[in-house]
Amino acid sequence: MSGVNLSGIVKAYGALQVVHGIDLTVAEKEFVVLVGPSGCGKSTTLRMIAGLEEITDGDLTIHDRRVNRVAPKDRDVAMVFQNYALYPHLNVADNMAFGLRIRKMPKAEIKTTIADVAEILGLTPYLDRRPADLSGGQRQRVAMGRAIVRHPKVFLFDEPLSNLDAKLRTQMRAEIKRLHNRLGVTSVYVTHDQVEAMTLADRIVVMNDGRIEQVGTPMELFNNPANTFVAGFLGSPPMNQMKGMLTETGAKIGDAEIKINGAVAGHAGRDVIVGIRPEHVTLSDEGQSSALPISLDLVEPLGSEALLHARHGEDTLVFKADTNGDIAHLSGVGAVHVPSHLVKLFDAETGRALNLGT
Amino acid sequence: MVDENTNAGGQPLEEALIKAREAQRRVTDGRWVRLFDHFKREWQIYAMLLPTIIWFVVFLYKPMYGLQIAFKDYSIFRGVADSPWIGWEHFQTLFANDQFIRAVRNTITISFYNLLFGFPAPIILALMFNEVMHATYKRTAQTIVYLPHFISSVIIAGIVITAFSPTAGIINTFIGWLGFDPVYFLTQPQWFRPIFVGTGIWQEAGFGSIVFLAAIAGVNPSLYESAVVDGANRWQMMWKITIPSILPTILIMLIIRIGNVMEVSFELVILLYQPSTYETADVVNTWIYRQGLQSGQYDLAAAAGLFNAVVAFVLVMTANTLSRRFSRTSLW
Repeated sequence: MSGVNLSGIVKAYGALQVVHGIDLTVAEKEFVVLVGPSGCGKSTTLRMIAGLEEITDGDLTIHDRRVNRVAPKDRDVAMVFQNYALYPHLNVADNMAFGLRIRKMPKAEIKTTIADVAEILGLTPYLDRRPADLSGGQRQRVAMGRAIVRHPKVFLFDEPLSNLDAKLRTQMRAEIKRLHNRLGVTSVYVTHDQVEAMTLADRIVVMNDGRIEQVGTPMELFNNPANTFVAGFLGSPPMNQMKGMLTETGAKIGDAEIKINGAVAGHAGRDVIVGIRPEHVTLSDEGQSSALPISLDLVEPLGSEALLHARHGEDTLVFKADTNGDIAHLSGVGAVHVPSHLVKLFDAETGRALNLGT
Repeated sequence: MVDENTNAGGQPLEEALIKAREAQRRVTDGRWVRLFDHFKREWQIYAMLLPTIIWFVVFLYKPMYGLQIAFKDYSIFRGVADSPWIGWEHFQTLFANDQFIRAVRNTITISFYNLLFGFPAPIILALMFNEVMHATYKRTAQTIVYLPHFISSVIIAGIVITAFSPTAGIINTFIGWLGFDPVYFLTQPQWFRPIFVGTGIWQEAGFGSIVFLAAIAGVNPSLYESAVVDGANRWQMMWKITIPSILPTILIMLIIRIGNVMEVSFELVILLYQPSTYETADVVNTWIYRQGLQSGQYDLAAAAGLFNAVVAFVLVMTANTLSRRFSRTSLW
């Protein structure tokens, strides 16, 4: 039984189509993250699952029941909103109890449920407080509590951490993950933050311009991006992409030639995009690697590692290097070494990943 | 380890305190300079404020000088300053005057009805407009209910007098169709208050709803979306989200309204009442008008006006304090 199934889902506002027939199956108890840039259709897709947007075409099923025309309240989903959507005139307990009261749950049961969930989320001391008297993290917990108390079949999260500062976001990310592991409820989570996507998801759905670019586990997407968009979206900093041409043993990028593992020989002369992850290069030849000459622009120290902003021909590149506690030795870097088995190739025209036996 | 008598920089605490105080003093000395710089920088904003300040001074603060005649035996020949003081005599006269007491009672009664029926009307109207989904219908309906606000009170009174006319009025025409005799609405005291309050609602409810519509527009849409997912219907959303969300605006408007309790629409009363309806229609302001302007008892009228103002001040202070205590919302 699938948790949520989207089949050929289309959303159009008049003549403007914003979601172009997406297909996606979210397994029961799975945590799926929709990620993509602003305007890619991820929030619209989530809102269609919630029932807050009408589905123009296609089929949406939740636990094998077609819900295209089912009211949001009858879909058995709970949603956590970006701005928390807490009722400012109600205290924490009443906010959490809102949905239960609407559903006419007995008072005693409501009280017990609220107490249990408040305990799980560490909200017990704040039950009498109003949202205005809470910190951002506490408000976010209340928003989650309001969703949890209903024991829905599906949790929907619409960028729930984007209003928090970086430190709190990291904490709350871990809490959401722990909560999912504990409750085991099917969850669909929308974010534009690829770090959130990587850390939270069982599977990531990368969306762009109303279409799904790739679906897979975080490491599948990181290691084997389906196209240049996914390669450029996941990873921080993103994958370096340079125009090149295949040779008998590798690829020629400007004046340099780097070796590539696999059967590239038969494709010599083909125009490609060569992808190199910033963290995959080394500063010294460690065997099975090729030197890529660079002109260093800037060194950004991050502590244990540093970002090297450099140029190769017309390409602007970013690489990561270990500092070993000092960045002085990085200022003279004139080349990076690219391991031949970690180079990714994409078709120069379509941007799709090339599987040439690497 | 840092000694408890020294700060992190190794400076003795006392010395650091003295320096801090000196720095503070320097800041204080520079306050006037900073204020001057501020005015110099932002003079355009203060220039825009100036007409309002002038208006307040000329029309509200300067006339307060004349309030003293409420405690004087005022003579226009002696002037305000030279008229002799007589203490509370005018107030004693006022409270011994049956007509004034009746005017106070009428003012409070009409204000109470205004508050009871007139205050919720624009809120209900705004809530109803908020539920209308058809944009053209909504705009048309809004324009129609806003219109009476822009019509002069004289015209409004003319319309009311015509509508309730016993010979050609539309109301009496209906009554006639039902086989009843015409009712002389505007000459019978028992009809004055309903007609007056109803006219006020017709004239102002639409325009008054704008404030509440603006407040409703400010409610976070995701509150409604969240409620929809939680299973709330439109009625529940109105009661549990919209009304509580606009409650601060409702309370502020209520406080302002309570402050104007003694200011029953003077023009409309003057235009609609007649001696036969004084019993229910004569309010403090019309009484002041008759005593002050028509009978030339300016000092007595000033005392009545001062009484009006003091009552309004006490009411608005009380309402504001209660609102602040119970709902965290207040005018100041």
